[in-house]
Amino acid sequence: MSQHVHPEDAAWGRRLFRAWLVLVALTILSVTAALLGHDDTRLSLAAVLVTLAASFLKARQVLDHFLDLRRAGSGWQAFFTALLVLILGGCLGCYVWAM
Amino acid sequence: MDTSSAEPQWGVLSALPGNPIMWVLIISEMLVFGAFFLGFAAARMRDPATFQAGQASLDVIAGGLNTLILVTSGYCVARAVRARALGQGIHRWLAAGMALGVAFLAVKGHEYGREFAAGHNIDSDTFFTLFFLITGFHALHVVMGLCVLAIVAWRDSLENLETGAAFWHMVDLVWLILFPLVYLLR
Repeated sequence: MSQHVHPEDAAWGRRLFRAWLVLVALTILSVTAALLGHDDTRLSLAAVLVTLAASFLKARQVLDHFLDLRRAGSGWQAFFTALLVLILGGCLGCYVWAM
Repeated sequence: MDTSSAEPQWGVLSALPGNPIMWVLIISEMLVFGAFFLGFAAARMRDPATFQAGQASLDVIAGGLNTLILVTSGYCVARAVRARALGQGIHRWLAAGMALGVAFLAVKGHEYGREFAAGHNIDSDTFFTLFFLITGFHALHVVMGLCVLAIVAWRDSLENLETGAAFWHMVDLVWLILFPLVYLLR
């Protein structure tokens, strides 16, 4: 028996697959960038910013699409965004301080 | 007013997928890992040379491979939840997600073995103490996540699957911050 796929379900599947592709692409880019540098080379401020921004984008992909927080409303999305900004922003502050 | 047969009132937590108690746990875990990450960054700020030397010995490719494994596992588990919502079979997706979770632990074990062989252990210096504590604590969460996924594969209602998947995605989310912080930022 063939099953009819609702257009909304097909769109959901494509959205999830796109999120996975973004996660894979950002991971490969960040690892490649790290491998291109020498082991004893410290990252520039721009590289630290890009790495942490990529981490933020990946975390948002998981929250929005894998955890499907888009359904949970703007309040929860804002809460988790604030939590990520607090953690990553604190780490960034420490790295800038040590430069 | 008759409250004996009423559903529990979870307030704002009701908007989240799965069981609200799991979300209390997830938020608590994120705060604990957040404190670990800020502690790691603060310790690095005080002794950047030790941390840079430690990070130089880490296997970035193994860490990146584990990131790919975990996000792919998260994708499979999310597909399992959607399949259940559509009344389709879930076990193929869930088995793939769990197999990738086991692969994550295998790569982590290989990585630890490599560090031990190089003479690094939890007492080596501040970097390796934090490295083994944070990544070890996360690996224990992967083990716990595999147990949770095994339980919801058995009792596979939609709410159970959403609850188990939420925990698994939290483990994924934590690694997406842990990996760049510990392995990449030098």
